[in-house]
Amino acid sequence: MLYPSPTQKLGMEATAEAVAQEHDKGSGASRTLWGDAWRRLRQNKLAIIAAVWIIFVALVAITADLWAPQLLGSPTAADTTQMAAQSLQPPSLEHPFGTDVTGRDILVRVIYGARISLTIGLLATAISTAIGLVMGALAAYYGGIWDTIIMRAADIFLAFPYVLFVLCLIAALGQSITNVFVAIGILGWPSIARVFRSAILSVKENDYVDAARAMGASDARIIARHIFPNSVASIVVYATMNIGSAILSEAAISFLGMGVQPPNPSWGIMIQDGQAYLMTAPWLMIMPGLAILSTVLAFTLLGDGLRDALDVKMKDA
Amino acid sequence: MGKYILKRVLQFIPVFIGVTIILFAMKAIVPGDPISMITGGRAVPEQTRLQLEVQNNMIYGDENGQPIYDENGDTIPVPIWEQYIRYMDDLLHGDLGTSYSKKRPVTDIFAEKYPYTIRLAACAICLEAVMGIGAGLISAVKRYSFWDVLVTLVTSVLVAVPAFWLGMILQLIFGIWLKNITGGAFSMPISGAGGPTSPYQDFMHYILPAFTLAAVSTAYTARIMRSQLLDVLNQDYIRTAKAKGLSNRAVIVHHALKNALIPVVTYIGIDFGAMMAGAILTETVFNWPGVGYEIYRAISARDWPLVMGGVTIIIVVVMVINLIVDISYAFLDPRIRLGSSKSED
Repeated sequence: MLYPSPTQKLGMEATAEAVAQEHDKGSGASRTLWGDAWRRLRQNKLAIIAAVWIIFVALVAITADLWAPQLLGSPTAADTTQMAAQSLQPPSLEHPFGTDVTGRDILVRVIYGARISLTIGLLATAISTAIGLVMGALAAYYGGIWDTIIMRAADIFLAFPYVLFVLCLIAALGQSITNVFVAIGILGWPSIARVFRSAILSVKENDYVDAARAMGASDARIIARHIFPNSVASIVVYATMNIGSAILSEAAISFLGMGVQPPNPSWGIMIQDGQAYLMTAPWLMIMPGLAILSTVLAFTLLGDGLRDALDVKMKDA
Repeated sequence: MGKYILKRVLQFIPVFIGVTIILFAMKAIVPGDPISMITGGRAVPEQTRLQLEVQNNMIYGDENGQPIYDENGDTIPVPIWEQYIRYMDDLLHGDLGTSYSKKRPVTDIFAEKYPYTIRLAACAICLEAVMGIGAGLISAVKRYSFWDVLVTLVTSVLVAVPAFWLGMILQLIFGIWLKNITGGAFSMPISGAGGPTSPYQDFMHYILPAFTLAAVSTAYTARIMRSQLLDVLNQDYIRTAKAKGLSNRAVIVHHALKNALIPVVTYIGIDFGAMMAGAILTETVFNWPGVGYEIYRAISARDWPLVMGGVTIIIVVVMVINLIVDISYAFLDPRIRLGSSKSED
């Protein structure tokens, strides 16, 4: 989608061109919202480091099957013949993150833990975003009684203490990986609905929405073609940050023993395993904790960077 | 003002009803037979079983607690909506049921646990207020300085740290690695409370849990303080005060701080409410016998009356504190109570 830049409207194309070329040598002057955003994002070093880290973690997690077990051993099954000799080894060349009590390599477990964390983070965010978008659109576009009902429902969900609510929901639905991301996803919708609702409310008043309606466009078409593209920036920012908090929630729930079950290597479970060996083998809990910290931090910083690049105004920054 | 308070109280009611419906629905879909939970899975005589069902509002009974039968000699199940009404009726009379595992009223158990949660939350709030406001103040006053960058970085990291991991790292550093320097004051979680020989046992064992609990909110407090103060410092009346010849310090202390603090204090108030929900993670890591840990244990043990009753108590406490915070916010900031009809979100 093309957006005329403000300078262009004023008949200052030449200047605009020059400025754009100065900013963006070689790749051609970008005139789209996303082009501008990308240019601004590239200048934000922290956001770029965060994005590189996320891509690195994702690549390692996706390709893990091809190389990790061969180099470091199985993430789940312990080698019973070597168990005594390999148990609780401190970090070394052979085992960069050390080994746990059954002699499993911590690094390979952290790598496979990344799969679970990223999967749950993405799926939970997808669920929250899908529900949040529909609810936010209904509330903002139709207003009135829809708005009241949906926003009161959001208040009710937000009145629950979050971790407690997730735990109760998982206990009620039954314990499984699916229910972990379903629970985190379902409980995440009110915040996204609020963000999308206020984004729509600010877009809805624009003349081009009236124009589309005057031309006989249906409500669904107006929302999908006119309102959604113009409020998608705030959703992208919010969803990016939400992935980080979903990863934190999964870790917390698995730490409490209500999430992913052993022997699956979730970061939260690994920290819980490490609690018993805090005195003798602290690397058991330090390493997965650093993995959570770096990944969540990366999603937060990338979200911050996107917010600045896309010029989204958020209530709580 | 009275109108504003009334409006807020009226908004409270539908949320409260919604919350109880969700809790009740969860209780209804929970797997497992409640009667076998109560009896601990032991076989009981049919008559006892029916009496228990009457007691738990599952079938109709007479005033002696005996089941009522229909013409076919079957018991009559209580419809779900009537179960909800009975649940609400008990709730409003302060009866939140009896724990399966502890065989004691839920309200008694929570009355016992709440003081621990309140004391921990009070310590955490003090830390949060002092550190958060201090850090935010420094980074706003010395904007773009080394300290500002440091505060920004530390707050970003704190927001991304899992609280339970932070608690364990603090135990590791202060309790294990620095054991000789700290005199073993932190070497044990609360159950040992620093040991009988520790000179600090009264308050030392609050420090690490309170710090863990306060970490994330301290980061948010600092960020809010920074952005609010920068916002206020751009206002016209600040320029006027500077033009009068007041020193920078006097401008900040006498003119800027008071207005910048309103949202910060509100945030801290709401956070205190959130802490009243019991810090499940912090309490679990430190074996702190507060409400969060109690509920966590109840969930693990599938002790549903304790879970549902506990969550109900917690939510009511949190909502009442939020209500008080909202109302005092309106007292502090006239814009809220006067322009409230247009407020979004």
